Amino acid sequence: MEQNLKSKKILIIEDESFISELYCRSLNKAGYETDTVIDGVEALEKAQTNDYDLILLDLMVPNLTGIEILRKLKNPVITPNLKSKIIITTNLEERDDVKKDIEKQADGYIVKANLTPSELVDFIRTIN
Amino acid sequence: MDDLKKLNHRIWINNLLFISFSNFIIFGLFFYAFLNKILPINDLLIIFIIILTSTNILISILQINNTLKPLKTLWQIIIRLNSNTTIPMPQIDDLKYGKDIVLNLNNQIVQLSNVTSQINNDLILKQSNLNNNLIAKNLPLPLIITDNNEIITYVNKAFAQYIGLPAKDIIGKSLYTILNMSFTSEDTFDNWLKTVKLNSAVASKNWERVRLIIEDNHPTRQFDLAAFYNQDNPANIETILVLFDHTKQYSQDDQAISFVALSVHELRTPLTLLRGYIEVLEEELKQTLNPQLKNFLNKMDATAQQLTAFVNNILNVARIDDDQLELKLQAENWPDILKNAINDIRLRAKVRGITIQYEIEENLPTVGVDRISIYEVISNIIDNAIKYSGRSNVINIHSYINKQNLIETSIQDFGLGINNNILPNLFTKFYRDHHNRAQIGGTGLGLYLCKAIISAHGGNIWVTSKINQGTTFYFTLLPYDGLTKEMKDNNLEQITKTAHGWIKNHSLYRR
Repeated sequence: MEQNLKSKKILIIEDESFISELYCRSLNKAGYETDTVIDGVEALEKAQTNDYDLILLDLMVPNLTGIEILRKLKNPVITPNLKSKIIITTNLEERDDVKKDIEKQADGYIVKANLTPSELVDFIRTIN
Repeated sequence: MDDLKKLNHRIWINNLLFISFSNFIIFGLFFYAFLNKILPINDLLIIFIIILTSTNILISILQINNTLKPLKTLWQIIIRLNSNTTIPMPQIDDLKYGKDIVLNLNNQIVQLSNVTSQINNDLILKQSNLNNNLIAKNLPLPLIITDNNEIITYVNKAFAQYIGLPAKDIIGKSLYTILNMSFTSEDTFDNWLKTVKLNSAVASKNWERVRLIIEDNHPTRQFDLAAFYNQDNPANIETILVLFDHTKQYSQDDQAISFVALSVHELRTPLTLLRGYIEVLEEELKQTLNPQLKNFLNKMDATAQQLTAFVNNILNVARIDDDQLELKLQAENWPDILKNAINDIRLRAKVRGITIQYEIEENLPTVGVDRISIYEVISNIIDNAIKYSGRSNVINIHSYINKQNLIETSIQDFGLGINNNILPNLFTKFYRDHHNRAQIGGTGLGLYLCKAIISAHGGNIWVTSKINQGTTFYFTLLPYDGLTKEMKDNNLEQITKTAHGWIKNHSLYRR
């Protein structure tokens, strides 16, 4: 089980470095490999390498919004055969209709303040 | 038509001539008999009247027979053609006469249908020329009409004013060039129109909060849009759009909501970090801290949790007030949800020396609830109980089936209690008990939120209390089966509800 987990790679797209630092610590302790990126454009490029099993996507990132990144990743013409699961991590409250639209495309949606880092790890385990 | 008139005329002239001629002869004979005194005058009068009457009747019968003859002939031919019987072929003259009548009838029908279609065309022309239509012209709402290629064929005065362009600059242009609309979701006007053009003859739809981007630094306009499509309309009026402007109201709402949303975001980011660091400290220092420091750390954790819950409350109240809180009702296992919420809140009770005890009846039916919102209800009521527990140290939670077969949950504290005369106000927004206001913090949002959420679930919430003995909150939830029955009874596939009552009927989402 542990061996299996170690092979999992997670991309953390997050502009608040204090948060990504905490997430990396918990995820690494739980056996995941992590990469962190702040900028939206760079994040999209990294995600498109298809190198990750899971992407934690903050909606508020500079240069390209999380929603734009999500749409580009979920569009098979722009990003063919994406294997990564995508979990939206946000503290910004979207309008319900927008949220529903995002939820349809992503594999999970969490409000960061409602989960501690270890609770996030538990949540990620349920996604796998 | 003239031919038939002549024909009828001729028949009547013939009849009159024939009757006059025969009467004339009878009168002649009568005078002859009278002058020559062949019979006494009385007998003569009786005979005269009898002869006159019978002759006229006879002639009339003969004439009617004569008039009906061509029709009879036609009927004869039909019978002959149909049954191939031995009825003799009618006279050629009668046939001609019959043919005349039929041709005349035919002509009249053709003329009548020509007149009808002319009237119809005139009517359509009149309708299509909307410039003469007083209703369209004077409608105080912006109105646009497009043809089957979404080229604008008509706009009323209100629309020209709304968009700030003269009508002549709008008509003939593509709808999408003139109206650069942005919608709240993928469910846009053009997507709808594409679909209905393929699948429907007639369709209509409304959109809320459509934004219109007007160039030249005009402020963005916001409106509700209603569209009507009819394939069978004349080609130049296939789609009709009406705009209901709400720019002022919606931009105020947006500012209010974005202010709350922004504040919530700003509060949540430090909270995320705070909770993260507390967790790290707990993990790392578990072994080394002395009991008091461990207790402080727990209190820090509980306080951060409480603040998170409060931030969620602010947001949910803003959503309820704006009718934006949407509940997705699903079949859930009630004991799981209840225990999960109790476990999360246990720390908050523990740091205040309070134990939460619970008793959940076995075999409770599956409930129809929105997991996230119902969690808020449980957490708010327990938080309330913790706050008002005073020196008591137990909170009892009990869940069972009540007499109405609803799932009832009670949360009981043994603390300060609430004055009975203020119980009815307890679920009002910002309401707080005067007696305790100075000692106990709170905003008066929690119970308001609970009431709104429970009502949207179709349940009830109420409270009983005795001063210095404690307070019990009760709320009921519907079994999921009851909910599905409700859907069936209303012939709905799914249900949508807002916190303010039933409104939409297209999904299991309730607002």
